[in-house]
Parts: sequence; C-alpha cells; structure tokens
Amino acid sequence: MSTEAFTVTVNGRVQAAGRGETVSSLLERLGVAPRYALVERNGQPVERSRYDATLLEDGDTLVVARPVAGG
Amino acid sequence: MDDSLVIAGRELRSRLITGTGKYASPEVMRDAVIASGCELVTVAVGRIDLDTVGEAITDHLPEDVGLLPNTAGSATADDAVRIARLARAGGLPDWIKLEVIPDPRWLLPDPVETLRAAEQLVDEGFTVLPYVLPDPVLQKRLEAVGCAAVMPLAAPIGSGRGLKLRHAIEIMVEQAEVPVVVDAGLGAPSHAAEAMELGADAVLVNTAIARADDPAAMARAFRLAVEAGRAARLAGLIEEHETAEASSPLGGLASRS
Repeated sequence: MSTEAFTVTVNGRVQAAGRGETVSSLLERLGVAPRYALVERNGQPVERSRYDATLLEDGDTLVVARPVAGG
Repeated sequence: MDDSLVIAGRELRSRLITGTGKYASPEVMRDAVIASGCELVTVAVGRIDLDTVGEAITDHLPEDVGLLPNTAGSATADDAVRIARLARAGGLPDWIKLEVIPDPRWLLPDPVETLRAAEQLVDEGFTVLPYVLPDPVLQKRLEAVGCAAVMPLAAPIGSGRGLKLRHAIEIMVEQAEVPVVVDAGLGAPSHAAEAMELGADAVLVNTAIARADDPAAMARAFRLAVEAGRAARLAGLIEEHETAEASSPLGGLASRS
C-alpha cells in the first residue's frame, strides 16, 4: 500500500483520502456542492476562500454542514 | 411614507421574518416565503448526511431573500459561538439569530448563556439578534453589549398560543433602543397584528405558516396582518374604556324626552 493514502473522519465516518486532498476535493468526492458547504476542521472553521488551498492530513476530523430548514 | 425597519443599518421593507422549518416540502416553503413578502428568512446549520446528500435549503429560496442563520442545537454559549463561526466562515451572512436552548420540553432560551454568547459574537463582528424570554432587564444587558435587535418570545416555540407574555413585551417596546422582534408562539395573524399594534418592530413566524393547511395563503394572511398592525400602531389606537361611549347622537328622532 502506498504510504500516501490516509484517512480522515467526516461527520463521524472514516473516509479514505489521498495525497493532495483538499477540502474542495473532498467535498467534490462526497457529492456536496461547495455553495454553502460549511466546513470545520479539527474544531476550527475553514474559510470558504481556503477550501481549495487547505490540505488535509492523516487523522483530521472534519464536520461538513450546510444551511438546513429552521426557524 | 417610508416606514422601513432598520436593523444594524439595513433597511427592510417587510416587518415579517419567516422561518424555513416544518414545511411539507421545499417547494411549499418557497411558495410561502414568496407569499409572505419577507426579505429575511431563518435557516439552521446542520451536518450533512453523507448517505443522502440531497439539496440544500438555499437551493429552494428566492435569490433576493436574505438569510438569517440561527444557532439552533446550542445548549451553551460555546455551542452557539461555534455554529456562528462555522456559518460565517463558510460564506453565510454574519447576521446570526442567537438561540441557546438547553431545555427540549419548553424550548426556552438560557438568558445567562445567551448574554455570554452575544458578547463574544458582537466582539467578533457579528450582527447579533438574540432570541430571549421577554425580560426587560436582559434586554438592556443585550443592548449594552451591542446586539442589533432583541427577539422576545410570545409563547413557547410552535405553541401557537399568541402573546402570553404581553405585558413584559410592552415594557421592552417602551424602553427599546434597538428593534424588538417578537419571535415564536404566534399562532394566528391576529396575534401578529396584536404584536405590531403594541409596538413590536417586526415579528418572526414559522410554525403557524408552515403547518397551516395552505401555507402560502397563511403567509399572505400574516403579511396583511403585520401591515395592518403596523399601520394601526402608527395611526394611534384609542384608549380602552370601562364603559360605553356612544358613536351616534343619543338624542335622536326616537328620543323619548
């Protein structure tokens, strides 16, 4: 196995990731339209303008959220 | 006459804000939002279910309607601050309906945690609209830390019971330095009109519209009621009297005297 593959946890589920994986590429693989996707990485919010540039690392914990119906 | 509602420098022509929860479908929600004439809707922030990614609520909203993210799901100030930061970082507006609700039965907001979160979020540059019990003392504390509006509940969320806490809301209106938006518990357009007549700056309605048999028609009814109540407030209501006061001359043709 390549040592370049690693895993991250997204909304409590372990996901495989690979070298060069960014927030943007992860969202795309998950089928989440980036418009209004809200991302927290290791407890810190990720700025939308940084989705392309934020490289994921082994063991990262992510929360992916978005606006939902509410009052 | 220009009678716009101004919150944090933003002019809103409609004094009705609606929620997007509890609708039978996103299409029904969209029709109701349009019929309400509102310019601002609340949305919550939720984790995406990776198995059924689906569509975002925002895909169904008219483009010209502004979003007011809420901090639903927060039981503490820290929870609320986390949601607000996540929303803003991800591109949602920096306006936040702050709600900190530890109790699932009555869904009443925690005033201590709300004040704590409000202070923090104002410091971080958010425009903060806290959802509160109608407490005139808390209102002053929230104004002092820089909240842009204060949103007292009329009755518990979703109860539809109307202005059960009317007297406290009247005190808040009387001493308000920032807009008072009556939020939660309004079940009928007449309740919304009453809130506007007593001087509320706006109302926020969700369940009463979303759960109506015809949500779009009910949204229109609330729009009209809010407009009527506001117009009545500006027109100046008469004082109540204990006894009758004739509208016609008493010494008419049929007078026995």
